[in-house]
Amino acid sequence: MSEPLLQVRDLDVRYGDAQALWDVAIEVHEGETVCVVGPNGAGKSTLVNAVAGIHPAHRGRISVGGVDVTRLRGHRVCGHGVAIVPEGRRIFPRMTVLDNLVLGAYRKSARRPHRETLAGVYEIFPRLAERAGQLAGSLSGGEQQMVAIGRALMAQPRLLLLDEPSLGLAPVRVDEVYDAIGRINERGVSVVVVEQDVQRALAIAGRAYLLGEGRVVMSGPAAELRDSAEVRRSVLGL
Amino acid sequence: MNVIQATLTGALIGGLYALMAAGLSVTWGVLRIINLAHFGLILIGAYLTFQVATSWHLDPVLTLVVTVPAMFVAGAAIQWLFDRLRLTEFNSLLVSFGLLIITIQVTSNIWSADFRRMSADVNPYATQSVALGRLVFPVTTLVAFGLAALVVLGAHLVLRRTFAGRAMRAIAQDRAVAGAFGVDHRRLSVLLGGVVGATAALAGMVFALSNALTPDTAYEWFGTVFAVVILGGIGEVVGTFAAGILVGVLSGVVSAVWSPAAAPFVLFSAIILALLLRPQGLFAAGGVR
Amino acid sequence: MIRRGGIGLLVAFLVLVAVGAFSDPLGLPSFYLILLGSICFWIAQATSWNILSGYSGYFSFGQAAYVGVGAYTTAVLSGRHGVNFFLTVPLAAVLCGLLALGVGAVAFRLGSLRGEIFALLTLAVPFILAAFARINQSIDGGQGTTVPVPEVPDAFGSLPELQYLLALLIAAIAVAAAYAIQHSRTGSALAAIRDAEDVAEVLGVATFRYKMLAMLISGVLGGVAGSVYALQIGFVTVESVFGLTIPLFVIVMGVLGGRTHWLGPVIGAVLIVTLQDRLSSYGLDAWNSIILGGVLALLVAVSPDGLYARLRARPLVSLGSLVVVGGGLAVLNVWGEFLDWLVVGMLVAALLAIVLGSRWATARLPLGRRARTTAEPVPAEPAIAEPAIADPEPAEAEAGTPGDEPGAVLVECRQVARYFGGVHALEDVTLDIRAGELVGLVGPNGSGKTTLINLLSGAFRPTRGVIRLDGQDITRMAPHKIAHVGMARTYQIPRPFDSMTVRDNVAMAIMFGREPLPLHRARPIAERHLATVALDHLADAHPADLNLHQRQLLEMARAIASSPKVLLLDEALAGLNPAEVDNAVRVVRRIHESGITIVIVEHLLRVLNQLATRLVVLDRGTCLADGEPQTVLNDPAVIRAYLGRQAHV
Repeated sequence: MSEPLLQVRDLDVRYGDAQALWDVAIEVHEGETVCVVGPNGAGKSTLVNAVAGIHPAHRGRISVGGVDVTRLRGHRVCGHGVAIVPEGRRIFPRMTVLDNLVLGAYRKSARRPHRETLAGVYEIFPRLAERAGQLAGSLSGGEQQMVAIGRALMAQPRLLLLDEPSLGLAPVRVDEVYDAIGRINERGVSVVVVEQDVQRALAIAGRAYLLGEGRVVMSGPAAELRDSAEVRRSVLGL
Repeated sequence: MNVIQATLTGALIGGLYALMAAGLSVTWGVLRIINLAHFGLILIGAYLTFQVATSWHLDPVLTLVVTVPAMFVAGAAIQWLFDRLRLTEFNSLLVSFGLLIITIQVTSNIWSADFRRMSADVNPYATQSVALGRLVFPVTTLVAFGLAALVVLGAHLVLRRTFAGRAMRAIAQDRAVAGAFGVDHRRLSVLLGGVVGATAALAGMVFALSNALTPDTAYEWFGTVFAVVILGGIGEVVGTFAAGILVGVLSGVVSAVWSPAAAPFVLFSAIILALLLRPQGLFAAGGVR
Repeated sequence: MIRRGGIGLLVAFLVLVAVGAFSDPLGLPSFYLILLGSICFWIAQATSWNILSGYSGYFSFGQAAYVGVGAYTTAVLSGRHGVNFFLTVPLAAVLCGLLALGVGAVAFRLGSLRGEIFALLTLAVPFILAAFARINQSIDGGQGTTVPVPEVPDAFGSLPELQYLLALLIAAIAVAAAYAIQHSRTGSALAAIRDAEDVAEVLGVATFRYKMLAMLISGVLGGVAGSVYALQIGFVTVESVFGLTIPLFVIVMGVLGGRTHWLGPVIGAVLIVTLQDRLSSYGLDAWNSIILGGVLALLVAVSPDGLYARLRARPLVSLGSLVVVGGGLAVLNVWGEFLDWLVVGMLVAALLAIVLGSRWATARLPLGRRARTTAEPVPAEPAIAEPAIADPEPAEAEAGTPGDEPGAVLVECRQVARYFGGVHALEDVTLDIRAGELVGLVGPNGSGKTTLINLLSGAFRPTRGVIRLDGQDITRMAPHKIAHVGMARTYQIPRPFDSMTVRDNVAMAIMFGREPLPLHRARPIAERHLATVALDHLADAHPADLNLHQRQLLEMARAIASSPKVLLLDEALAGLNPAEVDNAVRVVRRIHESGITIVIVEHLLRVLNQLATRLVVLDRGTCLADGEPQTVLNDPAVIRAYLGRQAHV
């Protein structure tokens, strides 16, 4: 296989004294959907935040498309085609839906074509077009999740990181979000989904990583993990 | 009649308050820095206007050609310094207090502590007024209001319509996520510092038009301007404009109807009331767990 | 140590009194008396400011309000209405005390009060008072007021001597008050408020009352000193007493000298006033404020902890450089006079202390690390930890027998709900916790676990519902009162009082607990609690030198020190490595065995499965399951909540 789009090696991440990740290695290839599952507090969010440049790596190497982005200042990482849908959505609540989306296209190469990208996002989430003028903070949880995903798409990413997209949503809304993720992947964007809704994530992913207490415990084809007792034991702690 | 005149004049003077407060409010809201040195920049802007107009016999409004770039650089430099020092919101208050004291002493050393006023031959605005029926409006207050309206409108449009403006609002709400989308807050904060410095030049010019200058005036702005910032909502330019007018009208009417002595009390009560009634609304990003 | 400081203070005071009383026989120029009087005034003001702003951490920019009101009371009453000077002083104290209480009552009741807002509010107060005085010219006639020379008893000698002795007396009272407060219960409470106010409240400190007390003392001292100041300057105008230079001076003095120690403002005041005097004598008045402003800006950025700590770290170097430089200049005698030499000597000593201090600090860093790494293996040796389960309070023992036989209901939640705006964090949770239980509180992210802990400890109030602890309704109680009923908690991210030793962190909980004890009696008990969590060997360390695991253990020790009936542990195991988790679990078990009922929020189900006597599962703010760990973990609904909705059940 060709060089992976995302390659993470020997990654340690700390919050002050507390180490959240130990020696984590993952790979994502062009066009793949990969999911990262594991119990609460296993370090899943830390992993994607480190990849997106929101939290610095303590040790190790993160490369995107062959370029080492480990030591780049946070705002430069997205220039290499990485966009994130953060945990808890973290949309800008006092900005309109439209402004949230357009801000997603802030990076240089995404600015000029942002009107076309916006049309593409509205195609995936028609409801956002209806709500364009509303303050994002006034939307329902599901709609906010769409804003967060749409905002990430506006950056025209090669790699989309989704951190717990199902968190706090009603089951119907979760279906919608996962439909959208599938369609985004069909357009050629590689996707990393971090989830505590293990079954849901494993259902759409090709490959999967199981994290436990800050380390990769298991990895392989998603179907394999789905039937694994290890996953069940790890997440439930039985 | 008296009350109508007081209301309208107050509203116009409120434009000056808004002009002074707008920069302070935006720096506080977006960059989490309470920049008391802003008052120093306004003061220097006022003295520069006085000096340039007097020595070069320039129309005071034209002095902006000199003062705006100068204050832009000064504002950007201060912001750069704050960024370097990585100050907390509270320490920024202390450091900028120190800077303000230095500025005031420097102006006092250069221009002395005596009152300075542009003479009538260089400052045609001071003596003119516009009459509307029995109501009279000094031209200086009209200039103040007009400039304030322009600045607020401009800032509003920039913040709503441009990439840089959206990025600034995004920084105010969630700096980390904004960074993940490529927003470099260091560069933007220096730019913002410069623009805020430029508004200080405008406010200084307007103040010099209608007032005699003494270095200590900078202290006298404190109460009123912070009342405007807090009432308007930290970081809200349109709110600041409205609050400026409100405070102007309030002071004007209370002074006219009751007594000038009562004005500060009314103002102070207004701040406290605002803090009591809308505590969350006054501060940015009310995060929910 | 306490006594030594007090004796030093008394000796210094007596020497300074003697200087004033015998200034004539000593041939001391009255100029020196005026300078000393001015130093005393600023010591009093800076100390008054420090008692509020330094000790409690609420920076006031409004010191001029006290100086102004104090000076105006004396000037107007004695100058315009012929009241005896000595009667106006207590009146000034009363007025300033009332002013301080008024400002405090408003400011500290604001729900949104943060340091910046307090600073701005206090900044506005003198501004408004000054405007009032300026506009109502009937107060001072609009031109300022001359303060008449009071009838001087013969014993006091001349007017300069009287001015000096009065100022000295006030300064001594202020410093003595600061000294006494620092070594008292109030001082500990204020330090805790400065370090972590809401933690202090949860530990049982009545924070509002202590903040008001600090305001009151600060106001009274500031007002009395202001009143004497009127006599010192002789002529009082709005500009001279309400100006912003007063807060500037006291803040610079406090920041320069050091805010956490009673001696800090004294050092700052001496240095600044003599420096100012020298600058004036060389005609450099114009540089006064520039230097002061620069010192403030630089110090906040470079050395925010102030000179006192730095000087104390290198007493010999500081004193040595003062003597060598000052003495050297005196011996050479080519430039200046006594005061110049003294000021240059002090400046060199201060600069040296700051420079060396920063190097000392960097040299100390690796040392701190070393302490940390040597401390690391400790958790791995549980053998040390087993002895003496500290159980000083009989109340704990009767709280219930641990283990299988749950006792009476301790905590009752009845249909408790909490909304944040439109977000329903908790929805009608009804829950009983019995004495002796160890309840694991689990659930996916965002399910409301921490919200429930915050409601139980009083940090938030529920939108609806009733919470009872040991039969008492605590739903709307202030957190410190809930603590006194018997609730204690830890924080997910440990929040120790950084300025105190590990021992005193724990002692705080005993000093302000259900049966308050003085510090010296609380300390030995604190050590027993530290032994329970196997942290007794670090009792003298500061929290910054502890690693995360040790800080979490400290949280637990502090919580059990308040001898609670119920202990709430919020993710006490988060971020630990497996060995540390095992050690923490042993500690939790030991605390439970000592008779304390525990509610623990934790993600590691594997751990809770072994530890808890009962599991409560929250999902989207409602109670999903409740019962024996094994049963709960096999509940299909729970598995769905954790593994996702398509889980094969």
